Amino acid sequence: MKIPKSITSEGPFAIGIPAIVWQVLFFCLPILLIVITSFIEFSEIGEVLGFTFEKITYFFNPIYFRVIGLSFALALSNALICFSLAYPLAYFLAFRGRRFKSVLLFFLLIPFWTNFLLHVYAWFYVLEKHGFVNNLLLSLGIIQEPLVLLNTPIAIMIMMAYYYLPFMVLPIYSSLERFNPSLIEASYDLGASWFQTFRQIILPLTMRGIRAGFFLVYIPSFGEFAIPGLMGGDKIMFVGTVVSEFILAEGTGSLGAAFMVISGALLLISAIFFYFLLGRLSGRAHG
Amino acid sequence: MRSIKLEKIKKSISGGLVINDISLTIPAGKFFALLGPSGCGKTTLLRLIAGLDRVDEGKLFLGDEEITQDPIHERPINIVFQNYALFPHLDVFDNIAYSLRLNKLPKLMIEQKVFKILEAFHLENHIYKLPTQLSGGQQQRVALARAIVNEPAVLLLDEPLAALDFKLRERMLIELIELQDKLKTTFVYVTHDQFEALTVADQMAIMNHRGEIEQIGTPKEIYEFPHSSFVAKFVGTTNIFNGVLRNCDSSDPEIEISDLGRFKLPASHKKAWMKEGCDILMSLRPEKIFISKKEVKNFSNCAKGVVQSIVYHGRSTQYNVLLKNHLKLQVFEQNEEHFPQEVIDYDNEVNLYWQKENVVILEK
Repeated sequence: MKIPKSITSEGPFAIGIPAIVWQVLFFCLPILLIVITSFIEFSEIGEVLGFTFEKITYFFNPIYFRVIGLSFALALSNALICFSLAYPLAYFLAFRGRRFKSVLLFFLLIPFWTNFLLHVYAWFYVLEKHGFVNNLLLSLGIIQEPLVLLNTPIAIMIMMAYYYLPFMVLPIYSSLERFNPSLIEASYDLGASWFQTFRQIILPLTMRGIRAGFFLVYIPSFGEFAIPGLMGGDKIMFVGTVVSEFILAEGTGSLGAAFMVISGALLLISAIFFYFLLGRLSGRAHG
Repeated sequence: MRSIKLEKIKKSISGGLVINDISLTIPAGKFFALLGPSGCGKTTLLRLIAGLDRVDEGKLFLGDEEITQDPIHERPINIVFQNYALFPHLDVFDNIAYSLRLNKLPKLMIEQKVFKILEAFHLENHIYKLPTQLSGGQQQRVALARAIVNEPAVLLLDEPLAALDFKLRERMLIELIELQDKLKTTFVYVTHDQFEALTVADQMAIMNHRGEIEQIGTPKEIYEFPHSSFVAKFVGTTNIFNGVLRNCDSSDPEIEISDLGRFKLPASHKKAWMKEGCDILMSLRPEKIFISKKEVKNFSNCAKGVVQSIVYHGRSTQYNVLLKNHLKLQVFEQNEEHFPQEVIDYDNEVNLYWQKENVVILEK
C-alpha cells in the first residue's frame, strides 16, 4: 500500500484541481483572450489580419485620460472615505462592542442580503428633491431651497461608500478582534500616549486588515459602472462606463477590450504602489 | 528607588469587591512579594499601582508624591506582564528601545543603553529577531529588559515565570534576585506560588480570598510565625490540630486535644484573646516532627501513630501517619543518610516527637 509522505504533500493538491480548472477556464483564458483581442486586427467578417497597436493608441486622447483619472479619483476617495468610516467603527466593535458585538456586526451585514437595486431606489428616496435629506434640512431651517443631490458626484460618493463600507469594516474588524489588548497596556505603561500607541502599535499590527480592506474597496471601485450610472445619471464617465459602452455597441467590442487592458494595467501598477506604500507605513515606526 | 504606599484602597470589578480596604507600604529598594491564591485580587492590586485600572477609593503614593490620579503613562512604574506582551511587529532591539524613543533620547544614547542591557541579559545574539523567534525564557528576558531599560522607580512583575518550566524558573528566580540587588529598584512580585515568593522576597504580604492582606513580614516570619491558619496553610504545608487551651496563665500552657491527650505549648506567645478553656488551633510543620520507632528523649511532646503511606521525594521522605483520634499527620524527614537510618515501613507503629517551641498557636 502506498502511504503519502505527509498530508500536505498529496491530498490537498487533488482537492484543488477543480478550482484550478475553473480559474483557468473562466478567468485566465478570458483575460488572455481580451489581451490578445486588444492587439489583433480583424477584418469585417472576423478574419485575423495581423498585429496592431492601433486599438491601444486610439485611447491616447485627453478625453480618455480624464476618464481614467476620474476612475482613480473615485476609487481612491472611496477607499479613503470607507477607511475613515470603517476604522473607528471596527475599533468600537472590537474593543467596546462587548456583548452587542454580534448584533452590531449583523446589522452591518444585513444590506448584503437585500437586492442592490433596492438600495439604489432607497437612496433615491433619501436624496431626491423632496426626499428625506432635503425635508429634514428644510424643516430645520438650515436651507431655504431644496438641494440638488441626485445625479451629482455627491450622490455617487454616498452610494459608493454605503455599498463598499462592509468590505472595509470586516477585515479591519477581524484584525482588531485578534489584537492582544495587553499590548496596548504595555505601550501605555512604557510611557506612550493614546496617539503614540495607536500610531506605533495598533495601526501597524492591524495593517494587514487595512490593506485587505483597502484592496477590497479600491479595486472594484475603479471599475464600478452601476453606481455612477444610477446615482450620477450617466453624466460622469468612468472606466467602467466607457468599457461597457464599447462592449455593448455594435462592432467596438475589441476597442472595449483594449481600453480594459490599458486601464487594468494602470490599476495593477497603482495597486502595487499602494501595496508597498501601506507596507511601509506598517513597518518600523521609527526609521 | 522609591516606596509605594497604599492607603485604604478599594476596588470593585463588575459589582464584586476585589480589593477590600487595603493599606500597605512597600519599602523602597526592596524585593517585595505579593502572595495569594488565584483570584484573590493580587493582579488587580498590581494593575492599580501601575495605573492600568483606577482605584474606587483610597490613595496611592509613590515616595511622598500622590499618584492616585496620574495617568498610566506618566507614572515611573513599569510592569512585566504575565504573557510578556512583547510587540510582535518589533524586533528585540525595537521592543527594548520603545520607551527610550518615546522619551526622545538621542539615538546614540538609546543604542548604548539597549546594547548594555542586551549584554546583561545575554541577548546579544538575538538583537534583530522578532519575539516569535525566541524561546519562552528569552521572551521573558526581553520583557524584563524592556521594562527596566528606562530605569523606573518601581518594577511590577505579574507572575512573570508562570509560563516557564521548573528548571528555568529556578534559574530566573536567582537572576531576578541578582538583578534587584544590582539595580536597587523597588520590585513588586505577584505570584500564587509560595516557593517563588519565599525565594525572592525581602518582604512579603499574603492576600486572602476576600481581597484583604492577612500578614506582612519577611519570608521567615511568615513561614515560622503565621498569624492565621490561612497563612499557615497557604505558605508551605502544615498540620493543624483542633484543641482547647489549658493552663493558660501558668508558665506551662498546654493544648488538650480530644482522644489524643495534652501537649505542651510555648509560653512566650501569649496573646490577649487566649483565655483558659478557649478553642484554639495548633499548627505544626511536617519538617518539625521527628519520626522514630524507638523511644527518644529530650523532646517536649510525643504522639503515637501508624504509618499509612510513604512518599519518597528524593531529598526528603514524606510519611503520612494516622493518629489515635483519626487525625492524619504529614511528617518530612531529610534523607541525609550521614549514618544508617532506621527503616520505617507501612503499618509500623511510630512515635512522633516535636519541641513545643516549634508550634504556632492560632485563633480559631
